[in-house]
Amino acid sequence: MFENFDIGILYSRSGTYQLMSEALFAGAMSAIEDVNADTALPIRFTPIVRDPVGDLTNYAPMCAEILSTSNARHVVGCVTSSSRKEVIPELDRAQATLWYNVPYEGFETSARVVYAHAATNQNILPILGWAMRHFGMSAFLAGSNYIWGWETCRVARTRLEASGGTVPGERYLPLGDTSVEGLIAEIERCRPKFILNSLVGASSYAFIRAYAELGRRDPQFAPEYCPLLSCNLTEAELPVLGDAAEGLISVGPSFCDTPTAEGRGSSLERTAYQSVMTLAAVLAQGVRGPFDCYLAEHGARHGIDPVTQHKTLDVHIAQVRGGVFQILHSWHDIAPDPYLTRPLRHPQFKKTTLTAVHA
Amino acid sequence: MKKQIDIAGLEGARAIVLHPEHDRLPVMLRQLRAIGLEVESAWPTLPASAITADFTLYDTDAGHDEQFPWPAGHAPMPMIALVGSEAPGRIEWASRTGADALLVKPLVASGVFASLLMARQSFERRKALLAEVEALRERLSARQTIVRAVSLLAKKTGSEATAYDDLRQLAMAWQMTMEDAAVQIVQHNETTGAYRDCS
Repeated sequence: MFENFDIGILYSRSGTYQLMSEALFAGAMSAIEDVNADTALPIRFTPIVRDPVGDLTNYAPMCAEILSTSNARHVVGCVTSSSRKEVIPELDRAQATLWYNVPYEGFETSARVVYAHAATNQNILPILGWAMRHFGMSAFLAGSNYIWGWETCRVARTRLEASGGTVPGERYLPLGDTSVEGLIAEIERCRPKFILNSLVGASSYAFIRAYAELGRRDPQFAPEYCPLLSCNLTEAELPVLGDAAEGLISVGPSFCDTPTAEGRGSSLERTAYQSVMTLAAVLAQGVRGPFDCYLAEHGARHGIDPVTQHKTLDVHIAQVRGGVFQILHSWHDIAPDPYLTRPLRHPQFKKTTLTAVHA
Repeated sequence: MKKQIDIAGLEGARAIVLHPEHDRLPVMLRQLRAIGLEVESAWPTLPASAITADFTLYDTDAGHDEQFPWPAGHAPMPMIALVGSEAPGRIEWASRTGADALLVKPLVASGVFASLLMARQSFERRKALLAEVEALRERLSARQTIVRAVSLLAKKTGSEATAYDDLRQLAMAWQMTMEDAAVQIVQHNETTGAYRDCS
């Protein structure tokens, strides 16, 4: 006899961050399939799927609808931080839980959210520290004009300046804007040692293509001299980038070291998959009631820090070479520090050149 | 350079929460711990350990002056007011106790981090301003000492015109500030009735 649980799926299947969403959706749905096919598990999931089509105003009502029209108490969803912040009040009302499977900028710990992908000390800090050691102390910061872009660039600027580095330029583009000529011209002018790209979606793709073109025109901007770094680039976005992806450097909890079809196998997909599997395992043990109470006691069993509800993760720096991410540096079991208040949890480098740990 | 907010120092910082038992109090305590602080809650009496805490969060609905061992407005750490009633009298009290930031009830997780950072910045700024005022006061009183030292030197050399320059020369020879040199001269004169000389 199987017990059925509704589970909310709230990913935008269109809009500017569609490719990330599709990977997350695929991971969540494939886990649901696996759970439902597993005769050893006493539970079954029924997905309650809503598509906010990339429109921020749809998230709260759709989340409310999932929670009021089904018995779902868990929602797997959201890509942007703004959409996550939209649904938290709805989750609060229903004492429900969001499984958030995307890297983000940190500085949040809602009891209603499991933050399953990398936070600040697991993405921006390690990639920045690594790049400062390998390429130099001057970085150009480019970001989309919303929380992720602002906060990623703020952390980068603060760290760089605290270590005696410089930020010769910092530019933001509106979400979805693809006019990147000004950005490229400015980078060409100020000649940084590396570039931190926290643009998302269409803006990011346009920028990456234009920068690859610049690198072909002027070898000083080729990846071996002045690489483009991203905190959230995964396999999911490689197909749309094609050759322009060569040399891009990213950070994440996992990468596929063999070519994958259609952007499959990304850490987004894997994280969404693992989230659903973790939930299934917990429900299979007969755990009911407010999930934050369960996590407060047993979160560590699942690698979830009971205090912050963020996950302990591996951190890899990887570069796209021949269409595949090749891992260049790894740290294992990095505990989360979403507020950057716990320097002991920050990935360490053997030879330190960082002089201060101000965030 | 613009002063940046120091987040790293929050780890292991101690917060005292002075608030009566309440259903929602654990929500805020949980958030303080999630941010990385050590938390102690108390009501109505502050424990002795409060004096060395890094933050005090206090209820303004039922709070009163006698709860704090320091004079109103002279808390040795950043103070965050937990405001329920917005009656002007209560806000006035919150302000008089030296609130560096405030959180409006009902107690929730959001806003706690922001108020910690705001409170600390505002506290540091206040401390720096007070220190600056104190330093200016000292310099002001030092000016009077300089005037006395110059007039003592003028008596010795007979020239008021060069006395100020003499003081500067002495300060350089003694490798101290002119203010300190003036103190030396005045004190020496007071204890021996003679002038300290560099010869």
